[in-house]
Amino acid sequence: MTDFPILRDFGFILTAAAAVGLLARFARVPHIVAYIVAGLLLGPVTGLVHETESLELVAEVGIALLLFLVGLELSLAKIRDVGKVALLAGGAQIFVTALLGYGLSVALGFEALEASLLALALTFSSTVVVVKLLERRGELNTMHGRIAVGILLVQDLAVAVSLTLLAGMGARESIDVATIGRGLLQASAGMAALVVVAWLGVRFVLPTLFTWIRGSLEALFVWSLTWCFGFIVAAHALGLSVEIGAFVAGIGLAQLPYNHELVRRVNPLVNFFLAVFFVTLGVRMAVGEGLAHWPSVLALSAFALLVKPAILMALIPRFGYGERTSFMAALTLGQISEFSLIIAALAFSTGLIDDTLLSVIGLVGLVTIGTSAAMIQVSDRIHSRLRGSWLLRLSGASLQPEPPTAARPTGHIIIVGMNSLGRQLVRSFSELGEWVLAIDIDADKLRDLPCASLQGSTEHPAVLEEANLAEARLLVSALQIEDANNLLAWRAREAGVPCSIHAFDPALADELRANGATHLMVSKYDGIRQVAAALRNAGVIT
Amino acid sequence: MEGIALLLFAASVGYGAARALGLPPLPLLLVAGLVLGRVGHVPPGLLEDALILGVTFLLFVTGIELGPQRTGRQRPAAIRVGLVQFVLLGLAGYGAARLVGIDGLGAAFVALALTASSTLVVVRLLRQRRQMFEPFGRLVTGVLLLQDLLVILLIPIVTRAPLGVSAMLTGTAAVALLLVLAALSWRWVSPLIVRISRDDESLLLSTLALLFVFTGITSRLGLPLVVGAFLAGVSLSGFPANAVIRPQLASIGDFFSAIFFTALGALIGIPTVPELLQALVLAATVVILTPPLVTAVAEWAGLSARPAIEAGLLLAQTSEISLVIGLYGMIEGAISTSVFTVIALVTLFTMLLTPFLTTDRLVWRILHLHPVRMRGRGDVPAFSDHVLLLGSGTTGMPLLETLFVAGHDVVVVDDDPDVVRRLREADVHVIRGDATDLAVLGRACARDALVITSTIRRPEDNRRLLEYARGVPVIVRVFEEADAEWISAMGGTPVLYSTAAAEGLLEWFARAVARGDGSLDSQQ
Repeated sequence: MTDFPILRDFGFILTAAAAVGLLARFARVPHIVAYIVAGLLLGPVTGLVHETESLELVAEVGIALLLFLVGLELSLAKIRDVGKVALLAGGAQIFVTALLGYGLSVALGFEALEASLLALALTFSSTVVVVKLLERRGELNTMHGRIAVGILLVQDLAVAVSLTLLAGMGARESIDVATIGRGLLQASAGMAALVVVAWLGVRFVLPTLFTWIRGSLEALFVWSLTWCFGFIVAAHALGLSVEIGAFVAGIGLAQLPYNHELVRRVNPLVNFFLAVFFVTLGVRMAVGEGLAHWPSVLALSAFALLVKPAILMALIPRFGYGERTSFMAALTLGQISEFSLIIAALAFSTGLIDDTLLSVIGLVGLVTIGTSAAMIQVSDRIHSRLRGSWLLRLSGASLQPEPPTAARPTGHIIIVGMNSLGRQLVRSFSELGEWVLAIDIDADKLRDLPCASLQGSTEHPAVLEEANLAEARLLVSALQIEDANNLLAWRAREAGVPCSIHAFDPALADELRANGATHLMVSKYDGIRQVAAALRNAGVIT
Repeated sequence: MEGIALLLFAASVGYGAARALGLPPLPLLLVAGLVLGRVGHVPPGLLEDALILGVTFLLFVTGIELGPQRTGRQRPAAIRVGLVQFVLLGLAGYGAARLVGIDGLGAAFVALALTASSTLVVVRLLRQRRQMFEPFGRLVTGVLLLQDLLVILLIPIVTRAPLGVSAMLTGTAAVALLLVLAALSWRWVSPLIVRISRDDESLLLSTLALLFVFTGITSRLGLPLVVGAFLAGVSLSGFPANAVIRPQLASIGDFFSAIFFTALGALIGIPTVPELLQALVLAATVVILTPPLVTAVAEWAGLSARPAIEAGLLLAQTSEISLVIGLYGMIEGAISTSVFTVIALVTLFTMLLTPFLTTDRLVWRILHLHPVRMRGRGDVPAFSDHVLLLGSGTTGMPLLETLFVAGHDVVVVDDDPDVVRRLREADVHVIRGDATDLAVLGRACARDALVITSTIRRPEDNRRLLEYARGVPVIVRVFEEADAEWISAMGGTPVLYSTAAAEGLLEWFARAVARGDGSLDSQQ
């Protein structure tokens, strides 16, 4: 057990990702770009890591889990909200982009077959890149975030169709309307089948099963992952992409009451697998040949970065969305997809294109993903610069006021752990007229409280962020969990908020104080005082 | 993808069965994997990756949980119990393995495998029963940590035994070097990681980078991967690094351990009859020897009879680390597949037995068999109309003062040797023993007491007391409202100390606000 390729590869990949990621933070470069650069360093530059089957699988799992996560955060209402714009604007975008992309490619001197492949590659935007960036910026749930994700998923369906067609074309079959029609039909039938199975499961089977198992979060988590991978395998069997399967699985589970906990649990897994995915993307980037065609690379990149958003900017406002929402959604989609690279690789392996074109598409991917990631980081600033200018007015979108930031609690008292002590404190502080927020892992314990509540484990920083710890007046933990209490004391001190922690055993007091507790509830001492009072009542002592 | 889906599906079945049967999930994951290995096809490449990554993350997480602060004041006792169990059980295991016909090196691996008890199984039980912070819970946790440390650090040394003494010495030196690195990383690197990581993602990545740097160094030193992964975890086991990282790694750990244990199960062949017999003999060695051994040493280290027995029963199984040892031995070619199967079976049997071994009923039954059962130590004259304090701890001292001032006879029952010594020095009548033991209650003349106060740790233990001392007013300190209700129903007077604690906080809050304490001022 001393040398295993998978560990060696992971070692290089994660160390490089962490190191370049750190450097990138100081240089304010988006982390996705940092990972791809780390991949370039490991692959094309030094040759330390080669693409293997294991790495490919890990990368694929990463994409799948990301889409599972996206699905997990979507309720049916949210889907209905953007379904129409995603289907229609997304569909029109694919058509228009492909057409213009074809024109540009021909103008740049590519042959018809090469040009159609380039057009296809330019059409798709990267689900992984966009979702990851939106999630990091907390914009997945905004209107523009949802529109962007909707359009991306429509594109993913188109990818499934394209891949089916391309695989068929290896046999030199000509593309006719019938083939395309068959592909479309197959994809939509498969999609329908998945949705029906998911609906049946969520409606009739899962609620009972999940309620039964939820005592063990571990088991619940593994069951959810199994559900996800089941759909992935099914999607694959139906000729659909892994993403679609995972996404449908995620949407299904989102309708159950455990989705918040699941989101928090899936998140670290996604971070881990996706970092590997992005680095591998860099590793397999073929750079060499394409550099000679740099003018084409630049022209095609400019098309993806500017023309594609412009097309969307012309389409989205037609569905009644305002200028800001439309702009932000459109800007987000200005890059080509990892699928463009996969499609190119497939076409290369079936002999449709040569390695020059493969390398050109790879370079366009690198340039557009990098630039667009940077643009998304500063999308607010770009928008406010362009706001109301003739450029945006051209789209005919109505001027939209800046979105109001949601009201977050401030000056409140956070009480963690709804045991007898926690509930008593909630009652008392509420009676004092304080703004109280109760937190517990168990949703059942949060019922019937006279205050706002939040379900989740405070071990996750996201929960405390949602509770707006930084602006709280006081943090109280009634928990009888040593580690969680120490962490809460430490986090409160880091946030500069006073805290009172339950030292349920007097022996814990010193450590809690050292970790930052302002006040301790040493309940057993308080209990002894009460026992004395009871003895006094009984007339035993005076 | 199909392979991962299959492994996860098997794991789901394992977890479901565990829930349905009320058993620990780990052995059932093995069984599910074993069945999968027969009926389904998982690509061997994936199986290998799952095992390697699984073992890496399993030991990494084990290492992170190795905070010595968990043992609290029980550390010296834990070291005593842990060492004795390790040495004696190791010797007995070696003997038993030779006896059933396993060769020398194989027997050494089996011995090592038998010495470890399962952190995953035991900690889960302790958490379920809310006994993590009782003295015996801390003792058991301490023993588990010590065993993990000893076993993992001994793996490279034992494997080199056939190569001669000098190879074993270089192995020891390499382990020592890695320990130094881990200490340096504990001191300097892990606080740095916490400081520079501003979000979950960079925290996770730098943590994992540290892990793989360690496994890389380990491989350079020619040591087994498990040592590196474990020590990388240990170097992150200080606060706050461990607490900050835990939620990030929890789900990755869950994912990989689900895959790891099912993949491991798929690796086990259908056992032959001799293998089954060997496994039964070895499992019996663990289950029969561990409880008396641990009980004796734990009592010698200061625990009273009942918690000592509970500790002994809880530790009577082999560990997930035993599986790792078997896997490692097999990959290195040090042991045969058959010995690996035997180790896996022993783990399976003993883990499945643990929930049945640790029931309250069995504990009491064994307590009656206890040869020098502590009927309470300390001579107390027969009293009547006295105040009887059951469980005093250090928190009870002020109450004692008040009672003496009021002129009462006071008898205290406590099982903490420290507390007992201090009370005796203060000339208090004290019985050292278990306040839930009716014999002890009898010696304390509970039925003739004026009033009894109970601060026993486990609320349900008061049931016996309330039945025994019917007619005497019993004041019981409880934390949860639900417990208060049934204590009232049984005729006791509950004192809800959560209310008292809440009042304490409210008083402090009111004072701080009145004082105009800057940060507590209303920010609205």
